[in-house]
Amino acid sequence: MSPQPQAAVGAPLSRVDGRLKVTGKALYAAEHDVDGAVHAVIVDAGIGRGRITGIDTRSAETHPGVLKVIHHRNAPKLPYRDNSGSNNPEGRRLRVFQDDRVRFHGQPVAVVVATTLEAAQHGASLVKVRYDAEQPSTDLTKAEPDRPTNYARGDAEAALRSATVRLDLTYRTARNHHNPMEPHATIARWDGGKLTVWDKTQWVVGTQTELAAVFGLETDAVRVISPFVGGGFGTSLRCWPHVVVAALAARETKRPVKLVLSRKQMYLGTGFRPSYEYRLRLGSDRRGRLSAAVHDLDAETSSYEKFTESILAAGQMLYSMPNVSQAYRTVPLDLPTPLYMRGPGFQTASFVIESAMDELAHKLGVDPIELRRRNEPNEDESSGLPFSTRRLRECYTVGAREFGWHRRAPRPRSTREGDWLIGRGMAAGVYDTARMPAQARARLDADGTALVEAAATDMGPGTYTSQTQVAADALGLTVRSVTFRLGDSLYPPTPPHGGSMTMASVGSATLDACNNVRRQAINMAVEDRESPLYGVAADDVVVRGGRLHVKNDPTRGETYRRLLARNDRTHLEADGSFAPPSGPERHSFYGYNATFAEVAVDATLGLVRVRRVLGVYDAGRIISPKLADSQALGGMVGGIGTALLERTVTDHRDGRIVNANLADYLVPVNADVPDLKAIYLDGEDREADPLGVKGLGELVMIGVAPAIANAVFNATGRRVRELPITAEALL
Amino acid sequence: MSDELPQCEVSPPTGSSESSPAPSRRGFIATSTVLGGAVVAGGVIGGPSLLGPEEASAADALPSSRVSLTVNGTRRTVTVDNRTSLLDLLREHFGLTGSKKGCNAGACGACTVLVDGRRVNSCLTLAVRLEGVEVTTIEGLADGDQLHPLQQAFIDEDAFQCGYCTPGQILSGVGCIQEGHTGSPEEIREWMSGNICRCGCYVKIVRAVHSTAGRK
Repeated sequence: MSPQPQAAVGAPLSRVDGRLKVTGKALYAAEHDVDGAVHAVIVDAGIGRGRITGIDTRSAETHPGVLKVIHHRNAPKLPYRDNSGSNNPEGRRLRVFQDDRVRFHGQPVAVVVATTLEAAQHGASLVKVRYDAEQPSTDLTKAEPDRPTNYARGDAEAALRSATVRLDLTYRTARNHHNPMEPHATIARWDGGKLTVWDKTQWVVGTQTELAAVFGLETDAVRVISPFVGGGFGTSLRCWPHVVVAALAARETKRPVKLVLSRKQMYLGTGFRPSYEYRLRLGSDRRGRLSAAVHDLDAETSSYEKFTESILAAGQMLYSMPNVSQAYRTVPLDLPTPLYMRGPGFQTASFVIESAMDELAHKLGVDPIELRRRNEPNEDESSGLPFSTRRLRECYTVGAREFGWHRRAPRPRSTREGDWLIGRGMAAGVYDTARMPAQARARLDADGTALVEAAATDMGPGTYTSQTQVAADALGLTVRSVTFRLGDSLYPPTPPHGGSMTMASVGSATLDACNNVRRQAINMAVEDRESPLYGVAADDVVVRGGRLHVKNDPTRGETYRRLLARNDRTHLEADGSFAPPSGPERHSFYGYNATFAEVAVDATLGLVRVRRVLGVYDAGRIISPKLADSQALGGMVGGIGTALLERTVTDHRDGRIVNANLADYLVPVNADVPDLKAIYLDGEDREADPLGVKGLGELVMIGVAPAIANAVFNATGRRVRELPITAEALL
Repeated sequence: MSDELPQCEVSPPTGSSESSPAPSRRGFIATSTVLGGAVVAGGVIGGPSLLGPEEASAADALPSSRVSLTVNGTRRTVTVDNRTSLLDLLREHFGLTGSKKGCNAGACGACTVLVDGRRVNSCLTLAVRLEGVEVTTIEGLADGDQLHPLQQAFIDEDAFQCGYCTPGQILSGVGCIQEGHTGSPEEIREWMSGNICRCGCYVKIVRAVHSTAGRK
């Protein structure tokens, strides 16, 4: 724990960048004023699989304003060096305009560069591409899977055979697209052999290394700038082909190029949560003590990369049972490659496991919370490690009380209000507490203000604000005196802004950098004969409001400003870093939640309306409560979408996505969202990281979809094992 | 929100009479197409252009029109490519990037601005049909350093995360308050449902609109 008073951390502050965002002055990727930038629009493949046999660009090239059309027949060969350590999955990444193959419907096949956006858009529509089309394979249930990834402990099949109670359940989840409100966008500019991109990215370092690898450059020759990201949810964790297209177009036209994907193109190669077919068999005794679980799951991936995610962990550690076997098969399809989407893996696994637990509870006539309590493990049974913190029981208790769980009628379809069937359901949630190495640097200026920098990102959770809070307390400054800068690859490197690891990783690096600066100042003071702090033990000095003083004697001290002025110092600065302890983990690190939902289902029409959602979280220390509350409510909204609305539909005849827009791919709107409530359990995780945080962004979404699905069952007596739950399924 | 967009109350630049009292989205697109065609027939009118020489030569070669409109209190007369939407005019030509492009199809509301005081999806509004109108964007909402009460309420309620939908939400909220659709949280939810917030800040957006409406 920091010796410093904690004034900013834990305070419900408003966003430090709020004013920029409500006045339209926050600049997102496409909005940077890059002199002389021209516009690029990508031409998408019109077949789902095959070869390009001809490209006619004459009409496009003669369209007024069009500068160039680039495609595989005139594009230079690009080095495409290997880029290990990136978010590129196993396989061979899509190489733009390097061959005539079409690997999925909508793959970039050409780009039109023009002096105006209108000309580029129109020019793209004039490019005529001829194909030799083949039948694409896009149906998860009909294609050949890869060899499975397996996990086993005990003998699950044997235990299942001898179990008193057995369930054999198959669930399906739809493909979901991230759909942040800001489309992907890149502005690329070459200055000689150096490339600068303003990009929508959740990882400036990842985009930097990928562009360096693709173009065969030194990493330092690429600079990536991304001060504001209009939502990500995972889609910007990888440097996608369109970023390469923008950079290539800029190099070929010798002009800065701005390339913004259309909403439709957001479905054509910027990742998605893969669809799953997931069979789960459970065995238990009559009291509901689990003895075995057998998981068999198939998930979409592309034909050229094998995308996997943490789908197996929850099934290994959420509940106590001696026998588990899992087989996870990816199924290569003629689709673009999936990518992590909010709560990756755990979100889907939690829907399956928590739905199945609800089915078991119903079958046994045991309360769903009681069933979960009976299967609460004392340690992580996948590793034998103790939990750093696991307060799931407390989440159940607080949640049941706040939600009024005792008022739930256990018998389905027994509560009715007019046309509406009312149901209540709950689910547990779990998400990995991820941490990765990160760096930051801090500078304290002679005027008593500080600047802290890290190559982090803020896609919405409030990195600017929470890092400022951490820095302010560590430096002993007010929040107003601290500026935190992020989103530039020139700043110290950080891990991806995903997996809920930013606070733990970047936050701990910020803490370290600011602690180092504060200690420099304290050491300077206690060694300075003219300082009132001369001779005091450094450990006895704290800083508050920019003033150093003896911990137990606030009258004895001086300000940073006086100290630095007297010592003729313009500033003090220091680097900071964080890395998880090396060697094997000594604890099992997860965040937990209990999520409760109440729904009303129209008995005749099957329409499902969510009435309220409550989440109770064991997420460690909360740095920024106001923003954490928003994040939790947002996770619930995302969960409502997954549960009831979101589904990317492919026409398997030609591999085309038929609802690649926001009118047909439904996401929750204001009228879909009732009162939502989030409760964070007080506390911290001292083992996880120096800040005691466990990560929020993923955890708050996990558990929402199964809680809603279980509430729908409680309302109607109909068990829907497919997401989204639509009216048709309930008719 | 799209069902009550007032596009057809905006005077078209030519004498078209395609307006109907309550246009559907489909009807609106058809109307726009007809208007676009009418302007194309009118040919190049000329006038001062915001375009650089290269862009201007491209624009000259294409059907373009002169249009005068007031944006955030400043009268602007420009020659625009007839295909240019109000949103692209604001973002790409006027440098007013506070209005956001989320879907470019009228489905998300990120581009919402006020045209003659009424909220519209600027991505679905062709610039050339806006002769004489007054446009208010997020950049024109504050009074100097004094934020509009709804801007302040968005900060106070933390009614946004990534901030990308926020300008559209705020202008839509201003319209919603002016229209008087703020009698209850339920009413606000309905009348703010044309603006998608993917971060899921709806509860707080409703609070911000409700509290601001209550202060009026």
